[in-house]
Amino acid sequence: MKNTRIIARLDVKNSNLIKSINLEGLKVVGNPNDFAKKYYDQGVDELLFMDCVATLYGRNNLSEIISQSTKDIFVPIAVGGGIRTVQDAQNLLKSGADKVAINTAAVQNPNFISELANVIGSQSVVLSIEAKKRNNFWEVYTSNGRDPTGKNVIDWVKESEKLGAGEVLLTSVDQEGTRKGFDIDLIKSVTNSIRLPVICSGGYGETTHAKKLIENCEVDAIAIADAFHYSRATVREIKKTLNLSL
Amino acid sequence: MKKNKSFFGLPEDVKFCKKCVESNQRFLSSTQHKMNSDEKKETIFFDKNGICGACNYYENKKKIDWVSKEKNLRYILEKHRSKNGKYDVLVPGSGGKDSIFTSFLLKEKYNMNPLTCTWSPGMYTDIGWSNFKSWINSGFDNILFTPNKRVHGLLTKIAFENLLHPFQPFVLGQNSFPIKVAIQNNIKLIIYGDGVEERATDKKDNKLNKANSNIYNFHFREKNDPIFIGGLPIEELISKYKINMSDLSPFLPLEEKYLLENDLEVLPITKFINYNPQNNFYFAKQKSNFQVNPDGRSEGTYTKYSSLDDRFDGFHYYTWFIKTGRGRATEDAGIEVRNNIITRDEAVSLVKKYDGEFPKKYFKDFLDHTQLTKKKFHDTIDKFRSPHLWENNKGVWNLKKTVWHK
Repeated sequence: MKNTRIIARLDVKNSNLIKSINLEGLKVVGNPNDFAKKYYDQGVDELLFMDCVATLYGRNNLSEIISQSTKDIFVPIAVGGGIRTVQDAQNLLKSGADKVAINTAAVQNPNFISELANVIGSQSVVLSIEAKKRNNFWEVYTSNGRDPTGKNVIDWVKESEKLGAGEVLLTSVDQEGTRKGFDIDLIKSVTNSIRLPVICSGGYGETTHAKKLIENCEVDAIAIADAFHYSRATVREIKKTLNLSL
Repeated sequence: MKKNKSFFGLPEDVKFCKKCVESNQRFLSSTQHKMNSDEKKETIFFDKNGICGACNYYENKKKIDWVSKEKNLRYILEKHRSKNGKYDVLVPGSGGKDSIFTSFLLKEKYNMNPLTCTWSPGMYTDIGWSNFKSWINSGFDNILFTPNKRVHGLLTKIAFENLLHPFQPFVLGQNSFPIKVAIQNNIKLIIYGDGVEERATDKKDNKLNKANSNIYNFHFREKNDPIFIGGLPIEELISKYKINMSDLSPFLPLEEKYLLENDLEVLPITKFINYNPQNNFYFAKQKSNFQVNPDGRSEGTYTKYSSLDDRFDGFHYYTWFIKTGRGRATEDAGIEVRNNIITRDEAVSLVKKYDGEFPKKYFKDFLDHTQLTKKKFHDTIDKFRSPHLWENNKGVWNLKKTVWHK
């Protein structure tokens, strides 16, 4: 079994760390930099900063938080939210991010993935997907689970792999914030369709959820938010239970 | 001046609240059975600093001593508490976040025996029906009333054509049905999960009944009130359309004397508990199997968690938008700004992005229900665009003034 990375996911709005359920009801948790530092000290493998309402409000302003965080944090950092141009992505990389996650801009113009990959390299391009279960497929959503796009998640990941995405961040809108476990079927369908590494996000409630996930799917990374933010779990505990290298 | 005269007696000078995004065109809740086509609407109060009545209410809310308010609530509940296991409080609701919160609070925290009741939406959405069932299944007996589609559809059509108010039949029932249920079941206390003050108030709060300051006066009728539905006197409705009094009776308010005789108290929980829509959402997620809108945001707004149950809801907000230039995103953003969930700048961009979006998803259902044609629908809509709000530029209707215009 490969060594699954544990990622702390920090959703940010207006310089605050926030948390939601089903990507709705955003509550302020605290200062994102303080939390990021805490997770770094606990031995997290990566950090993921998401301004998940950036598109909703037509803005992007995570640069400052990233610059702050990279002063004393030395694990890879991925950043997403409101990235619409190659320039936006380059600004974030300049601030210290290692990867950028894109959703809306890629949905609106799939070639943006190639454009971006050509300039910053596929290893830095994460395709972020907000996936929602419909009757017989998973649909791609944007604007923090608000706007359906009509795209089928499975077709979309295959297409973006070809276009040059380097990694997939897969968020289940249905499971997000519920603490009821991951959407295993969704994750399995995605990991079986592409060779790209997949970060699973949405639904972690207890260690059995993560165990079940890595036993059933070839996942490269698990993103956890709620359980870390509300101190229901630490990185160390989770890694220990899952026999991952500390 | 003459040619710009506003419809419904709305203020001719459009203003937006400086704290939230509410417009001075917003109607106040009013007595449905008095509405007719020449009615002048009362609108939300704006103070001399340009702050709306709802924001003023929230400012005052900060000074409220909620501990003593809760004591008041306990006192009222004690007075009504049943000793023999009979229902002692009625909670009207849909199974949305606010009714889930209120019913659980009464049952679990205060050990009351609530009965719940529901006036059916015009046409349930799948998610609305499933949330409704989840609510009942989480431990609440319920009386659901469903008016027949023939009469409901007809009244909706008439109210749409005469008042551009397709939601009126629903509101009529929503206001009067709980009172009838309470009287039939000998329950003396009705508690709602939401209060109108959170959204709009005028200066004097004169929506309350004088005889019993706990009851909104749109929940009943005074003795000699003539009754209108869809802007027509009920006598005219009966003679013009093939309907009779019993067809109309579910929609008619009771006379005030029944409320007084039965010593009813009708209260919003928001008078006693500091209301926050987001807290109620978290509560509902935890207590009931409450699900947010599976389609993402609702049409005309950005929210996923409020007002999900009725396929015709979008038409209520859309027609409201046509009449007043402010729609569902304004309503939702206003309440979230007041509760510090979003900032005013965010609210402005949400209103710009979503307010007034056409509710296309259930358009066909709405036309089927009302037997209106598309053309009749759009012609009626355009007839109600007040010249002080709208201008037509080469066939495209635009608002003359919006919250995002500088």
